[in-house]
Amino acid sequence: MPMADAVTTPTTTPHQTHGEPIVEARGIGKSFGELEVLSDIDFRLEPSEVVCVIGPSGSGKSTLLRCLAFLEPYDHGSVYIDGQLLGYEERGGMRVRARESRVDAVRAPVGMVFQHFHLWPHRTALENVTEALRLVNGLSRRDAEAEGMAMLERVGLAERAGHFPESLSGGQKQRVAIARALAMQPRVMFFDEPTSALDPELVGEVLDVMKQLAHDGMTMAIVTHEMGFAAKVADRVVFMDQGRIIESGPPETLFRTPRSERLQQFLNTWRERHID
Amino acid sequence: MFDLALLWETRELILQGLWNTVWICFLGCLVAVSLGLVLAALRLSSPRLFGYPVACYVELCRGTPLLVLLFLLYYGGPSIGLLLDAEIAGVTGIGLYGAGYFAEIYRGGFKSIPKGQLEAARMLGISPWHALTRIQIPQMLRLIVPPGTNQLIILVKESALISIISVDDLTKNATTIVNQTFNVIEPYLAVALLYWMIIELIARGGYALEKRLANRQPRHVVRQGESAHAHG
Ligand SMILES: Nc1ncnc2c1ncn2[C@@H]1O[C@H](COP(=O)(O)OP(=O)(O)OP(=O)(O)O)[C@@H](O)[C@H]1O
Ligand SMILES: [Mg+2]
Repeated sequence: MPMADAVTTPTTTPHQTHGEPIVEARGIGKSFGELEVLSDIDFRLEPSEVVCVIGPSGSGKSTLLRCLAFLEPYDHGSVYIDGQLLGYEERGGMRVRARESRVDAVRAPVGMVFQHFHLWPHRTALENVTEALRLVNGLSRRDAEAEGMAMLERVGLAERAGHFPESLSGGQKQRVAIARALAMQPRVMFFDEPTSALDPELVGEVLDVMKQLAHDGMTMAIVTHEMGFAAKVADRVVFMDQGRIIESGPPETLFRTPRSERLQQFLNTWRERHID
Repeated sequence: MFDLALLWETRELILQGLWNTVWICFLGCLVAVSLGLVLAALRLSSPRLFGYPVACYVELCRGTPLLVLLFLLYYGGPSIGLLLDAEIAGVTGIGLYGAGYFAEIYRGGFKSIPKGQLEAARMLGISPWHALTRIQIPQMLRLIVPPGTNQLIILVKESALISIISVDDLTKNATTIVNQTFNVIEPYLAVALLYWMIIELIARGGYALEKRLANRQPRHVVRQGESAHAHG
């Protein structure tokens, strides 16, 4: 059980909680009306761990990430970020929805990158990165811009700082979105199919940035269809189907010796598509 | 023929009418634009609480002629202890009526901003208030300038109805001149020209605002030295 008072602020260094998961989901379930999209999911992310989530379309991968970030409230179970319950509070033995500000505080260590970038089109690349630094962290314009430029440099886009999203390529947009998330110094990053909306020739530049992040020790959960990337970068791969985690393990094991029939099928389909 | 001298002799009435039309429309439109935004923001922030009442309000505005609303305020007001000057009734009527239309215009603007942009803001810890004022409203404003301009023009033209509740606006004073001089063409043409000028001014303002709100050119924010250790 995570201790109720195991409070870790976002400024805590990663090593202080070593061995404790940064993200832990226990028995989470989620339905949209009648449709059960997640059932009884257990999920852990240790510091510096890179986990790739794979599975067929509609298996609930996005919903899982969204529940772990409380963009979608889960119906059952618990999600802990740094040992703190996300999205709900226990009050007099009853579980109630937490206030928005409480949710924000608990998920502060989480950065999120979306398939469709979701940059703000009325702001330049740099302004996209500095917005939260100024509004949330209260940095002066000068300090925020210095920090923002450092983040853009990290994704190799310093020279595009003054451009609006409409004049950036998809790969550049996604890298700005990564820089925007990094600016808030997350301890864990969630990626939901970060390269699925990109032209094939632009996938590499985004994956390279993610590889670098993994190399720098960032904790990451990545929903992806890029099996090659998963095989190379993931410490662990999770295979989902029909709202359940079917198999989970190191990529070598999962890709070479899949135990379940559904994973074998999934991998075969993938191979057929990518070898022809 | 066209009697310019007549217009010169009655200039005081015409100018008084112009002034009344301008300030009443200005205040009425101000109420419409701001109350509309409040209504749209309420509906957006808490659809459960405000969705239905705001939707009803919008339908009421669309389903009621402005003139009826003005009659209710001016002649019906006193029976519920609401004694309004004709001018104030005019401002209130135009404001309340326009707010319903503006609420819809704003809602359309808000709705066309992808939800993901707000989720991105939430994930960065940006408060709903800041998301509204820094992300939604600036984008929404751009989208609503053309339909908003159009609506303001309609309100100014419909404001002629306040002449019926005895406000000395352009239309009423033109009619007064007609009744005094038995010249119909000159006063009404002069007044039409003045309405058209006000409207042209609003249209120009709208275009200027549209241009101003469009994306600025890319700025070159990279300063010497800062990019020296750029990522290889
Ligand atoms: N907001 C929603 N309302 C209703 N149903 C939803 C909603 N979001 C997702 N679903 C349904 O939940 C199921 C799982 O969706 P989810 O997006 O999590 O799948 P996924 O594994 O991410 O698929 P993909 O690979 O296509 O992105 C699908 O059947 C989807 O139609
Ligand atoms: Mg998905």
